[in-house]
Amino acid sequence: MTRVLINGIDGPLGARVATMLSAEPGVTVIGLGRETPPAPVGRAEWLEAVLNGQQLLALLRAEEIEVVVHLAFVGAERPTPSREAAVQQNVLGSMELLGACAAAGVRRVVLRSHTGVYGANPLNPAFIDEARPVAVGALRGLLRDYAEVEQFVAEFAARHPGLAIVSLRLAPLLGGWSPIVRYLTETGPRMLAGFDPCLQLLHFDDAAAGFVRAALADVRGAFNLAADDTVALSQAIRLAGQQPVLVLEPLVRVAQAIGNDAILGHWPYDLSFLRHSCVADTARAKAELGWTPAHSAVAALQALRAGGHAGTDPKTSEARLRAFLARRS
Amino acid sequence: MSDELSPNGLPAQLPATDAPAPALPNGRAPRQPRGRRKATVEASEQAGAPATRGRRKAAPAEPAPTSAPPAEEPSEIAVGGAAPAPLPFWGEQQDGAAPTRGPGATTADSLYEVELEVRNQAEQRSGQAPELGFLAAGALQLVGENLRRMGEQQAARVSELLRGVDLTDYLDPDFWRGIGMVLRYQIDEQVAFVRRRMAGEYTTDAYGMDREVIEVVRPFLRFMYRTWWRVQAEGLEHVPAASRALLVANHSGVLPWDGAMIAVAVAEDHPAGTERIVRSLHLHWFSSLPFIAPALAAMGQVPGLPENAVRLLEHDELVAVFPEGLKGVGKLFKDRYKLARFGRGGFVQAALRARAPIVPVTVVGAEEIYPMLANAEPVAKLLGFPYFPLTPFFPWLGPLGVIPLPTRWSITFCPPLPTDTYGPEAADDPLTVLGLAEQVRETIQATIDARLAERTSVF
Repeated sequence: MTRVLINGIDGPLGARVATMLSAEPGVTVIGLGRETPPAPVGRAEWLEAVLNGQQLLALLRAEEIEVVVHLAFVGAERPTPSREAAVQQNVLGSMELLGACAAAGVRRVVLRSHTGVYGANPLNPAFIDEARPVAVGALRGLLRDYAEVEQFVAEFAARHPGLAIVSLRLAPLLGGWSPIVRYLTETGPRMLAGFDPCLQLLHFDDAAAGFVRAALADVRGAFNLAADDTVALSQAIRLAGQQPVLVLEPLVRVAQAIGNDAILGHWPYDLSFLRHSCVADTARAKAELGWTPAHSAVAALQALRAGGHAGTDPKTSEARLRAFLARRS
Repeated sequence: MSDELSPNGLPAQLPATDAPAPALPNGRAPRQPRGRRKATVEASEQAGAPATRGRRKAAPAEPAPTSAPPAEEPSEIAVGGAAPAPLPFWGEQQDGAAPTRGPGATTADSLYEVELEVRNQAEQRSGQAPELGFLAAGALQLVGENLRRMGEQQAARVSELLRGVDLTDYLDPDFWRGIGMVLRYQIDEQVAFVRRRMAGEYTTDAYGMDREVIEVVRPFLRFMYRTWWRVQAEGLEHVPAASRALLVANHSGVLPWDGAMIAVAVAEDHPAGTERIVRSLHLHWFSSLPFIAPALAAMGQVPGLPENAVRLLEHDELVAVFPEGLKGVGKLFKDRYKLARFGRGGFVQAALRARAPIVPVTVVGAEEIYPMLANAEPVAKLLGFPYFPLTPFFPWLGPLGVIPLPTRWSITFCPPLPTDTYGPEAADDPLTVLGLAEQVRETIQATIDARLAERTSVF
């Protein structure tokens, strides 16, 4: 019997991971979140609360949790109200959680992270593997939070060899709300004139499958998760049904210097990610986790254009109706 | 004239007279039926190739037939019906490789026959106004190349537009009116192509390579290769047809035209006809330049980092490196054909790690395309360039100074140096690495010297 705690069950990804994990034989799932889960969570029970470190420790001990899946990052699945509050929960909250896990004798922690932690730099190889150091200094916003947590984890893991820490570095997520979805669906997403970096994406369901595997497999360390295909940024915007708006880099720099960040619209990452590609190598996840992405980036973008998960195509609906009616026979 | 035939029946060396210069017919072997080479190309082309790849092989390069075609040949172009000799070759391919060859190809082949006839007339000065003849042949060639990308309907429309026009009589205003109508129509069709790209319907690999862009650029590069620099490529059999290899070449000529020409040589003249794309490694500094960075990436170039080289080789790609780097391209004219230092042997390490053979390549002729008399370093520093060339023409003539001189080039692919005899630890042994690098450098320098000794004229 494996007892799993999902921190962040109040997000769509947490709910999906809870559904999938609780369907696994011999797994009991408990969820923790600030709100009611937005989607079904399978057989999982959940607690709606904001816990401090001591309270977390009490929960982990009392419930005899063996595996913790930590997905609660502010700004990843709904817009951030304020940066300060986000850093408080994302960085300090993660440190507190890791401390509680080590103290409570949890076997394994699976952390959410981002492929953007490597930074976008012309000196990065075309495919970045997990051995590449995290570029904290070059990042801002949510990516910086992820990178700071990763940096903390590197030291923490060395001091706590009994706790297996896995960090899943996810490519920008498609499906539900995510910073990249907000960018791709606003009118006229901004691009830098003269640059067209390659973009790597990840379907929501593939990300959830990655967390399920990482929670149950005997692995540790970082894993990159991304769809198998890459798209040029301009192509991604067009596949999402938009036309890019080009801005000149010097103008952007001037605008940012005087504090106007609106010039890049809702572009969620640093300016450097509009210049250079950041493509992660997923070979390790495939070899050690046995994970393979089921969705291509192009298909996920086309679904985004169709307005969400279910296509509006009548043939698809007909096929799904038949499959649903046939489920009991 | 060379009578060596490569395995697919085309002269291995380019005839000297394929440039638009007055040529004397001098006992050349009759042209092989067109299409044979095409057929071998299609047979070996991967199924994964995009549908737009069907297009003609370097037409301007093929030697013109020496005997003038009979004057009474019907000048109206045939559509599908009375097909010229090559039809059986692609007839065989029709079921499997249909998407690699557009239905417009039949019309285009007939157009090609007319183009050859016109060019031939102009060369022999048998018709009137030979210069106009070359222009007419060029226009026919452009129409033909465009036609090869098109579908059946469009091809039928084009031949309808050209019906009743005597395509060999370029002095007739009707000829030019017909060509004009066709070109305008073809531009309309290109708009559809652009629209499709606007909807995001194209694919790039993770390095940003876009095969459609390569197809668009290729006719121009082919023109530079065949007509402008009349490149003679030798030893292409040393380049593997499918497996990995690292091409190591000397670098020269201010702008990296030499890399482009090596790529054209492999794509066009390789005996196996597999049209391999050479992935050249460029200085990573170029990846931070607007417009240049995405253009290089689209054409299949990759930032020159060791990880990229090893990864490409491990995926059985053909990788080209220029270990001289900027020291090579930014060489002064007085230092021409003296190899600069070969970096720190990073290319050898990559080849050893991926166990890829090293093929030394020499390019002769590129040193003279922009004779760089001096390097205006203060200007270069001001603009953030690695060097700022002063040639007899640049910057004095402005944009015209960027036109390279039409020197005659030769590219020699030397026998490969195997690396699989070394163990995996050899990549970290400076003695092996630097020794191999020196061996490659000496091979290239010796081949350059030999080629220079053979060369009678720069042009």
